[in-house]
Amino acid sequence: MTAFRITICAALTLLLLTSAGVAVQRTDSLKAGKAELQSAGALTFGPDGVLFVGDSMGGKIFALDTEDRTASQATAVEVTGMSEKIAAMLGTAADQIQVNDVAVNPVSKKAYLSVSRGLGPTAAAVIVRIDSTGKIEALPLDNIKHASVVLPNPVNASTGGRGGNARLQAITDLAFVDNRVFVAGLSNEEFSSTLRAIPFPFNQADKGTNVEIWHGSHNRFETNSPIRTFLPYRVNNEQTILASYTCTPLVKIPVASLQSGSKVMGTTIAEFGAGNTPLDMISYAKGGQNFILMSNTNRGVMKFSADGLEKFNPITAQVPDKAGVPYETIASLTNVVQLDKFDAQRAVVVTRTGTNLDLKTVALP
Amino acid sequence: MTGLVARGLLAACLLLVLQSPAIRFDSGRNLFVLENWAGAAQVRPERGGDVFTVSVDAPNVPALLGQYRIENRSLIFAPQFPLQPGMSYRATAKIAGATPITTVVRIPKPDVKPTTVVERVFPSTNVLPENQLKFYIHFSSPMARGFAYQHISLVDESGARVDVPFLELGEELWDRDGRRFTLFFDPGRIKRGLLSQQELGIALHEGKRYSLVVDKGWKDAEGRPLAAEFRKTFRVGPAERKPVDLKSWTVRAPQSGTRNALTITFPKPMDHAILQRELDVVGPGGSVTTGGVTIGPEEKTWIFTPDAAWKKGAYTVRVGTATADLAGNMIDRPFEIDVFERVDQNLNRTTRSLEFRVD
Repeated sequence: MTAFRITICAALTLLLLTSAGVAVQRTDSLKAGKAELQSAGALTFGPDGVLFVGDSMGGKIFALDTEDRTASQATAVEVTGMSEKIAAMLGTAADQIQVNDVAVNPVSKKAYLSVSRGLGPTAAAVIVRIDSTGKIEALPLDNIKHASVVLPNPVNASTGGRGGNARLQAITDLAFVDNRVFVAGLSNEEFSSTLRAIPFPFNQADKGTNVEIWHGSHNRFETNSPIRTFLPYRVNNEQTILASYTCTPLVKIPVASLQSGSKVMGTTIAEFGAGNTPLDMISYAKGGQNFILMSNTNRGVMKFSADGLEKFNPITAQVPDKAGVPYETIASLTNVVQLDKFDAQRAVVVTRTGTNLDLKTVALP
Repeated sequence: MTGLVARGLLAACLLLVLQSPAIRFDSGRNLFVLENWAGAAQVRPERGGDVFTVSVDAPNVPALLGQYRIENRSLIFAPQFPLQPGMSYRATAKIAGATPITTVVRIPKPDVKPTTVVERVFPSTNVLPENQLKFYIHFSSPMARGFAYQHISLVDESGARVDVPFLELGEELWDRDGRRFTLFFDPGRIKRGLLSQQELGIALHEGKRYSLVVDKGWKDAEGRPLAAEFRKTFRVGPAERKPVDLKSWTVRAPQSGTRNALTITFPKPMDHAILQRELDVVGPGGSVTTGGVTIGPEEKTWIFTPDAAWKKGAYTVRVGTATADLAGNMIDRPFEIDVFERVDQNLNRTTRSLEFRVD
């Protein structure tokens, strides 16, 4: 018995040391200094309080050490008149800033927001965080442990130094899965997808895999389609990406299929109709069932069951509205422009009324 | 005697007033200064906010971000960002044992006359395919982000607005300078077989006329509205579904020893932005020939003028396969592909070659 206990203790110690070692290694790759963000867009949290920031203007992904690793039991965060308060902190008016994304630190429960101060091409990139008391503070980007990786501008055939300068990839979404940062982007010139998986810690020698994502509609037409938003999710024990294209269908893509240079076809599992663009997706469990919540530009916040997604046959024929996975629209959630998971029972939403933005936690439906 | 005493008292009072802590805004250096305060020397700069704060002049707002420093008998606050013309800022000093001092500073807003206009829109042709993929809108000055879709509409011949014709993305698609906006049609209404197309149909109908309208309310990066509304009226032709075929291009080769232009002519208009970056001329030695490119009328010609005279020999135009027409059909790859397996063959081949000779 004693030997068993010693073995267990040794194993636990080893586990502890290993996890600590990994933590040290992850933040060790980040160096203190000025994080030269040209813009701050899509956000996602990695391990150990590392915040990934998509910088579309700079064509980079930044990893910032928020040093925010203290667990919190906070159950709510709420700021009324948030855009006015953030703008005031930045010395300007609410209509002179843009809130580009929100991500909740899953440990500290603080909400992080990427903000543009100013509206023109020289707007300053700012990251602010809001704690459960509603206190707003800016991350000191002048001196912060960070690292960045350049996203290669793909297939630019001209090597004569001509053109290409106007071409940018708008980074539409980020996620951290299995020690890789997944990046979805949309070009301002061609209609094509770039889904990249970049190992973290960043290594300049390995810029990750670059995959063309295709959308097959009804077994007849295929197009190289940009992903607007995506969610890492395990379907039938297989790590999957649930992705929504700009043309609204929801597809599933097995992560194992994302090999560099490969062509990947997403399997359409739902279509949500016209005149709408999905914004954010989160997953959660309630009452022994799994659900996905998706916010949209024009169709409110939709909830659908995530159980048995593997059983849904791909959509292969034209079908009327609400094709594929059945969903319900959550009537109490309106004007939601940003959505992230707060904890197992709650989500953080940013709602817009006119030019004003409010932030609050809401119970997961 | 009494007069002397009175003058002395007045001088002492003046000295006291002059020596009293006061707040001054240094507009030249964009600094708020709490001056004439002997206690300044005792304040650590990182605790400057305990005594002296500057905020937007509004209730319940956090203080401005910025840095404090001490100089002589002054505590100085430098805001992190430039102050906004037209806004007021409240600076407050709370010195222990003294009445709080407050000063409100208003930053003047100069008169702004609108000067920014839409300079041009691509495609420049006035006949667009039914499955037109996008517009590029070029402005004369950098524009403000975040409001694009409120100011763009597509109207039909009767002046009625077409319902949600465009893809509206929070991450508006601008170039680095904020002067070119990319406006995609909603792909859900172009791609065949989607629910979107079933519900709303295609956005453009062959044979009809439409206008792309950019209203004057769209503000530039300086906050000024546009100087004029912009309107591009066009007729809609049949859908274009064929891939771009290099064999249909014609090359007019220049003569050696001249710097005359090399001209490539296309049978259909091409995507302006992609055309600018996807073609290169490779000389007889195998290196890229440097020079300038002009895109001809209706984006149907690519005109290349070399920096140095042409040499005799075999040249190649290296063409990126992303080169596309107005409907997003690329070289050997249509926008929509009927047979999926065909895609695989050329996935990693990113250029094609077009040979010509200079004699």
